[in-house]
Amino acid sequence: MTTTIETTEREQAAFAAVELARHPARPRALQVIAAAFDDWTELRGDRLFADDRAVVGGPARLGGRAVMVIGQEKGTDPMTRAVHNFGMPHPEGYRKATRLMQQAEKFGMPVVCLVDTPAAYAGVGAEERGQAWAIADSLLRMLNLRTPTISLVLSEGGSGGALALAVADRVLALENAVYTVAPPETCAAILYRDAGQRARAAAALRPGVDTAHEIGLVDELVPEPPPGAHAHPAIVAAAIRGVLIRHLTELEAIPLDDLLGMRADRYRRAGG
Amino acid sequence: MDRTAGLMPARRQPPLRRLQAPGPQLRPVSHAATIACAACGRRYVADRYAAELNVCGGCGHHARVGAVQRIEQLADPGSATSLRLEVAMRDPLQFDDGVPYTDRLERARERTGLDEAFEIATAAVSGVPVVLACMDFDFLGGSLGSAAGEMFAEACECAVDESRALISVCTSGGARMQEGIASLAQMARCSAGVKAVSDARLPYISVLGDPCFGGVTASFAVQADVILAEPGARIGFAGGRVIEQATHDKLPDGFQTAEFLLAHGMLDAVVDRRDLRPTISRLLDLYTRAA
Repeated sequence: MTTTIETTEREQAAFAAVELARHPARPRALQVIAAAFDDWTELRGDRLFADDRAVVGGPARLGGRAVMVIGQEKGTDPMTRAVHNFGMPHPEGYRKATRLMQQAEKFGMPVVCLVDTPAAYAGVGAEERGQAWAIADSLLRMLNLRTPTISLVLSEGGSGGALALAVADRVLALENAVYTVAPPETCAAILYRDAGQRARAAAALRPGVDTAHEIGLVDELVPEPPPGAHAHPAIVAAAIRGVLIRHLTELEAIPLDDLLGMRADRYRRAGG
Repeated sequence: MDRTAGLMPARRQPPLRRLQAPGPQLRPVSHAATIACAACGRRYVADRYAAELNVCGGCGHHARVGAVQRIEQLADPGSATSLRLEVAMRDPLQFDDGVPYTDRLERARERTGLDEAFEIATAAVSGVPVVLACMDFDFLGGSLGSAAGEMFAEACECAVDESRALISVCTSGGARMQEGIASLAQMARCSAGVKAVSDARLPYISVLGDPCFGGVTASFAVQADVILAEPGARIGFAGGRVIEQATHDKLPDGFQTAEFLLAHGMLDAVVDRRDLRPTISRLLDLYTRAA
């Protein structure tokens, strides 16, 4: 049986914004790392169970300084999308990320997280190995990390799966990205018991990063030349490089104890 | 059946009277004033059922418990004082999906008598000063919105300011969709609260009830020093039905039950509700009176 779901213009516009954020040609984490950083050397595995390819990470150089870059990678074609599980991490992905964060702290490297996931993966293995525990641990570790941290939402920041890599001193987002409590499909399934009503959910949720910016969860939106980042990958990569260096320079001037105090304060008040 | 697997000693046997049918000395009560066990159908007089902590003496089924009743069950008699928090209704998205979100909130407030999905109280448990932060599933599915997140953060601050141990009891469907991204931010806010408690080296004991999912499980509910769960409680990140539909994986037996998670190393113990207070008392004693 097929049902036709009528949508209003407002709902169509809201869902079009979600589709733009999901545009297959938008810059992915590995592309941004290649274009905006130097000497990136990938480190793999969580040392516990597996190497989750939905999360990539390793040290690189940015404007002279060594930084730890961690990104959620969605893949760019059918084969790489499957390899990277469409950017949906298992617990191992978060445990690899926190391993690399601890290492960054040890060597005094700032951490840069590139967030791009519809959600943490929902599956039997992910639950058995403690998806919620891995995310909760990452949230707490990011609050405690004694090194400057920046997170940039590239395209899609969905659910706790995104927040787990976004409890940072500075949170930035490309202006056409979305940042939501859950993908519109999941929201529709929860609220209306019908994932098909995703446009209605998208309109009600206001998924654009401007909403996250309004409530102070995102500090700065990085402009994209029209029609969007998918059409101008080189310009956007250069803009990302510039904005990351500017924020890192600011953060590096703040004594670590002050930085951690400010971070705790900020998230203590997060979301109104 | 061993209901207390894990680090706890075997549960004491329930007193015999629990197993006896109501005797002839009891006056018959009207059907309306009784509660039937959802699992085995055994009927209880409402007061008696509450005195049994909403646990069926026949089959051991644990029924849901409201936040206020939870506090009564865990606190030393007469020791609990509700933390009177001024909680304004928040509607960051002006969410309206046919019924305005503020109307839903108003109705939940009337129905439960609570301001939000949390009830917070200072209390003593076997003499140890604690803050109890209990969730109420009847308040919009125990969902975590910004007011509820603020209440938990206040509970953490109270623990730090007054050197109290923190005890949370979670029953929640997860983030509150109607508050969108502001709701997601509460996972970070509650984590910041736990960090403050942890930095002050105060013990945090988390009790997971049925059900506990999403952004609540994936934040403060599992950031505790000790994680306990009630028998049969369903706990996880994504719901089993969602996983089955999305992946077509066959769900293993007992998937996402407390017992399943204990076996996978995610919990410290599964504790029968009738043993919860003594278990927490013993832990608090060990963690707060180290010498």
